This record gives sequence, C-alpha cells and structure tokens, in this order.
Amino acid sequence: MDATRTHPEPRLALYVAVWAGLLLIVAAEVGLTYVHLPVGTRLAGLLALACVEAGLGLLYFMHLRFERAILFWSLVPTLLFVLLLLDHLWPDALRLQHLRPPTP
Amino acid sequence: MGSSDVIATPGHGAGAEASPYGIPSRKLAIWLFILADAATFGAILFAYGYLRVGSSDWTRPFAFWPSIANGIAMTVILLTSSLTMIVAVRAAAAGRTAAAVRWLGSSALLGGLFAALHLREWFSMIHEGWRPSTNPLGGSPLFGATFFGITGLHLLHVVGGVVVIAVVAIALRRGRLHAGHVETAGLYWHFVDLVWMFVFPLVYLMNAR
Repeated sequence: MDATRTHPEPRLALYVAVWAGLLLIVAAEVGLTYVHLPVGTRLAGLLALACVEAGLGLLYFMHLRFERAILFWSLVPTLLFVLLLLDHLWPDALRLQHLRPPTP
Repeated sequence: MGSSDVIATPGHGAGAEASPYGIPSRKLAIWLFILADAATFGAILFAYGYLRVGSSDWTRPFAFWPSIANGIAMTVILLTSSLTMIVAVRAAAAGRTAAAVRWLGSSALLGGLFAALHLREWFSMIHEGWRPSTNPLGGSPLFGATFFGITGLHLLHVVGGVVVIAVVAIALRRGRLHAGHVETAGLYWHFVDLVWMFVFPLVYLMNAR
C-alpha cells in the first residue's frame, strides 16, 4: 500500500489470477470438510482459509491494495476490534454445554 | 474514477480541503457502509457460533449431493460475478460505456442465478419440513432459525445488489451516471461476495454430513 498516492490500474490478468486462486481455496475448503478431523481443527482450518479469501477480496477485488494506506488503516483495524470484542461470548457458550440435564 | 469525481483540493473554494483518503466522498461513504454491514454480519455469525457451540444436539443436515454441491456452484457463480464486475468497472473507467453495460448485465445475471439457486434450496428445505422454528430431523430447532436468518440476510443483499447493478447499468447507458457510480456499486457487490466467503464454510461446510 502506498501512503501518499494511488497506484495505476493493474492488468486484468492479475484479477483473473486472484479469481482462480479464490476458486482453489474454495476447493481446499471442501476437501478439508471431508477429511476426518476434530471439529475444532476443521473450524480453524476453514476460518483460516476464509480469512485468506477475505484478504484477497479486500486487497484486490475491492482495490484496497491500490488505495492510500490510511484507508486500510482506518477501516480494517476498526472491524477487527469489533470482532475481537465479540469473542467474549465463547466461555458462556461452552458453559451451556455443561448445563444440560443428562439424557434419560 | 469518473471525470465528475472531484476530490477537494486546496484552493478549490473557501471551505474545501484535501481529502486524506484521496477518494471521492461517495466511495468513502460506501466503505463506511461496508464497515457497518461487516460488523452486522460478524455479529450474526458470532451469534450462530454461540448457539452452535452451546447446543449439544446440533443438526448437520447437508449431504454432499445436493446441498454442498449446490453451495459450491453458488460460490463459483458469485466469485465469477465479482470478476465480471471488475471488468465492468475497468470498462467504465476507460470510457467504454457499451462494454461496461454488458459486463454489468453479466454480473446482474450471475447474481440472479445465485439467488435462484438459493431460493430453490430454500424451497426444497421448506418442503422437507424445515422452518425457522422447526427441525424435521429432531435436533435443535435453532438450526433453522440461524440458517434462514443468516442466508436470508445475505440473499437480501444479493437481491438488492442485482437491483442496484441493473439501475446503474441503465443510468450509465443513458448518461445519467458515470464510472464513479459503477465503482461504488462494484465495491458493494464485492463485499456481498466476501460475506459469502464466510457463510459458505461456516453455515454449509461445518454442517456437512
């Protein structure tokens, strides 16, 4: 990212390569789903791949890579902070599992 | 950026000052909308995660055929519509209006196809007895609530996006809108695509049988 000015428009081939890369990541996600893994491991893998997809989408399809750096730093950390704050609910979700009465 | 996208620079009027972002206010506004909407989708996906983790009898109803295969097709269609949108934005910026309108039409058609596949899946599930408050398989009824809620909100964004793209294409052809508007519509459309990148793995793949 450039801190002071926007870049010239990249070649269309770059976007086609990103699109192909995103399709490959989708294929990897589907493959990961049908590999026998613990649920937590599968979730972590799928989330990691989804974050890579989101990053590629933001930087290239949404052009953030070619805008002034201040736009990226104004938007992305703000959203990440909001999502971080939402993470406080997981201990309660795990607690709920232990509140279930035993199945007769 | 279109010819009418004037960014305020020093000396342009008494109250004008340079934009720190170097983009038109229209584009900054859509970015702020995207930020707020991303927080909304983030919140409902976290709520879904909370309910899923907290439920001991969560249902995983999706077989590879037809549900996951349908989801893969929808994902490919939406990603491809983002590529056609990029071509439309580039054509509009280069002043090739007819080409831009054609590529916008392609994006809208792909968006419509995505919505049609989604609705077909919904009707199929409703036919099987799924409702927002009913689980025909006997597990937690919250699956239906979260599935229809999350995918419904996303579908609403897709349908809204198709309408916006169609309106922008028609107005661009008539000369009422310009390349800057195409870029703004494109940013929204890519965001809708980006949200699906989380909905598909979390709502479909994590509930695959």
